[in-house]
Amino acid sequence: MPKDIIIIGSSTGGPKNLPKLCSRLPLIKASLIIIQHMPKFINDSLTYSLNQKTDMHVKLAEDGALLEDGVIYIAPSDHHLKLIGNRRIRINGEDLVNYVCPSVDVTMKSIKVDPNLKVIGVILTGIGKDGAEGITHIKKIGGKTIAQSRSTCVVDNMPKHAIETGDIDFILSPEEIGDKIVKLVGS
Amino acid sequence: MNGKVMIVDDDPDILATVRIIFESEGLEILAVSSGKECVEELKMGFKGVILMDIMMPRMSGWDTVQEIVDKGLLRGNIISMLTAKDTPDQIMEELAEHVVDYITKPFDPDELVSTVKEYLSYLA
Repeated sequence: MPKDIIIIGSSTGGPKNLPKLCSRLPLIKASLIIIQHMPKFINDSLTYSLNQKTDMHVKLAEDGALLEDGVIYIAPSDHHLKLIGNRRIRINGEDLVNYVCPSVDVTMKSIKVDPNLKVIGVILTGIGKDGAEGITHIKKIGGKTIAQSRSTCVVDNMPKHAIETGDIDFILSPEEIGDKIVKLVGS
Repeated sequence: MNGKVMIVDDDPDILATVRIIFESEGLEILAVSSGKECVEELKMGFKGVILMDIMMPRMSGWDTVQEIVDKGLLRGNIISMLTAKDTPDQIMEELAEHVVDYITKPFDPDELVSTVKEYLSYLA
């Protein structure tokens, strides 16, 4: 079971910003889950593209899989991704939450308190408010939280709503977020 | 690089500028001046990257995206909104997962081409 889980929520502008973040990630002992709002037919292309940017192994998340260190899981479109017992991926549900599916809130709020688990929640560029409740949840269970700096966003709606919760620890550029994740995982 | 790009904008200067930018890169570009024309092109089989202006008369960019989704014409196309407007509204939130990017005018030509080429690679 990984000791660190990082959940990254991203929407409009994500395919432009995620490579910047991932390019700063060496192979680290943590599992990353990316919830990117996107059409289903680009799931594989985004996965392939991000795989070229990092030493982490990037793959589409599969229902029932156990989280592994060194892996970045991309949530497939059209279903929500939850973590069962903080380690098993459950992909189901097609209802829209915050107008989207998968929803960042749904994934972040599926994490349970575990003193042995370090959790980091990240909100990147995007339209809407998805992820804001999730950030509050992660903060509440003792995790660290990061929002993309508004000046580096394509659209700053999602980070804005996350920041307005008062539960964001760091506001950084995508590259700085990558560096911060490495630092927090290593600490 | 192979692939098609469609610019949808009611401003003829923008259409002409974007056409020059992409043609100089050897990319096939289709320039249309309304959402209606965009939908017609999609019905006729266009697949590629669509740069969609938001503020257009009669049928806005968001109305056009909604129609594309409703008519099942999204598959095989990547949509980026192209606009001077930078304040998202409620309608945009509903369509967030169908729009991959949001490019604000005035844009940097090199960055625009680089971004579009990246999205074309997604469709390859």
